[in-house]
Amino acid sequence: MSTRAVYGIVVRELVRFLRQRGRVLASVGRPFVWLIFAGAGYAAVFAGRNEIDYRVYMAPGLLGMVVMFGALLAALSTVTDRDAGVLRMVLVAPIRRGTIALGKALGATVLATTQAVTVSVLLLPLVHLRPSLAGGLLALSAVMLSSLALGALGLVLAASIRSLENFAGVMNFVVFPMLFLSGALYPVRHLGPVLRMVAYVNPLAYGVDLLKHALLGAWTGAGYGGELSPSLDVAALVVFAVLGLLAAAPLLAREGGVTRTAFRQRA
Amino acid sequence: MTAAAIEARGLGKDFGSIRALDQLDLDVRAGEFFGLLGPNGAGKTTTVHLLATLLAPTRGTARVVGHDVAQDDLAVRRAIGLVFQDTTLDRDLTVQENLRFAARLWNLPARLAVPRIDALVRQFGLGERRDDPVRTLSGGMRRAADLARGMLHEPRVLFLDEPTAGLDPRARRSLWELIRRLREASGLTVLLTTHYVEEAEPCDRVAVLDHGRLAALGTPADLKRDTGVASLEEVFLARTGHPLAETGAA
Repeated sequence: MSTRAVYGIVVRELVRFLRQRGRVLASVGRPFVWLIFAGAGYAAVFAGRNEIDYRVYMAPGLLGMVVMFGALLAALSTVTDRDAGVLRMVLVAPIRRGTIALGKALGATVLATTQAVTVSVLLLPLVHLRPSLAGGLLALSAVMLSSLALGALGLVLAASIRSLENFAGVMNFVVFPMLFLSGALYPVRHLGPVLRMVAYVNPLAYGVDLLKHALLGAWTGAGYGGELSPSLDVAALVVFAVLGLLAAAPLLAREGGVTRTAFRQRA
Repeated sequence: MTAAAIEARGLGKDFGSIRALDQLDLDVRAGEFFGLLGPNGAGKTTTVHLLATLLAPTRGTARVVGHDVAQDDLAVRRAIGLVFQDTTLDRDLTVQENLRFAARLWNLPARLAVPRIDALVRQFGLGERRDDPVRTLSGGMRRAADLARGMLHEPRVLFLDEPTAGLDPRARRSLWELIRRLREASGLTVLLTTHYVEEAEPCDRVAVLDHGRLAALGTPADLKRDTGVASLEEVFLARTGHPLAETGAA
């Protein structure tokens, strides 16, 4: 395992991200768009229950959303790397496929975590959430673990599909179900048994649950805090991350198919 | 006796029902400038990718500077440099950033990488453009930067897969000049693939590939003399029964 190679891959992801001003602004702005538009509508529906301001309830889910977009879009760079040929430079380097997968997933983790921390600094004061030190540290761990799990998952998707167009399609069928079945917008326990089952194979659901433990502890009694045990959340995220990395490594190596693709086109 | 830089025995690759490379026996000596000549689809790139461990052979074996491509792929990749047909540089990063990225992938500590990058950038005429994004470079400069990337870890064998594709004549000449100087300076083994006879002409030896098979092998002079013709183009025609240049075909 070459730590220098992992570091190099992470640094490149970070430099590329910071140069794309639109992507930086979108990643920070997106949760506030949801807070304003979805927040306003749902808050009106929720009003009168007086148990929790919906915008407070949304905060952990919005951080989960930032992590999801941040990590999955970072994985997108694997598709553009393949298209642009950069992945071949990485594959001809004397490093294992697992090292590449780890570098890419850690790159996604660094990007998504940075975005989530930036958004928290703006969002939490806005909705008057002041987590304790322990709560803040738990939230940070939740963000980092979810980023790693989702980054690894995004890598599996990106490595197993060929073109950017396909990636956009897959993202639509992954991103929205993942978001709605995560507890980000309403508690998972309100879902029917089938959808609840689906929610429990959704890594984001565990990340959001852990964020609720960290930020909404005061509302647990009212039924708006975390629903699963925090240690179960952590264990599930670790399992998703490990499985994702193990699955992504051999998929990346299929790039050997540069030649294969050329021959297929001719056949 | 000079050690073999590349040894292939019965090396072959199928893609499904397509036989990209049949059974290749090849010995490239250390320090040799070796050409693989053939039209598109002859199996040149497949051969390079097999020798560079980017593809797993369907049959046969190959060793590169003594390391088996199937058993010891990391050692092979450490010993080789590979310049692909198309650039592998990140167009959004500068030349310098690309080379730093490559240095980390090849596990070169900064104390080695920094002076080497300085030297390569200067030697390859990229000094003034090192902080410009690769996107803004001309085709010739991009290829020079690709070559710098391939040479950064001081490989013993350099693979050049159609290195002049898409370059204008001036950029081609300066690329060949760079490669000549690299060979003279370090005794580097170079395996070149090309479908241009004039690029195969200066090679020490040339293997003529057609439809995944070795059609001829020898020094350009021997090949021409043994076939009784004046050019490598005619050698190709005589040995394969069809012309090298694709006229009308696919």
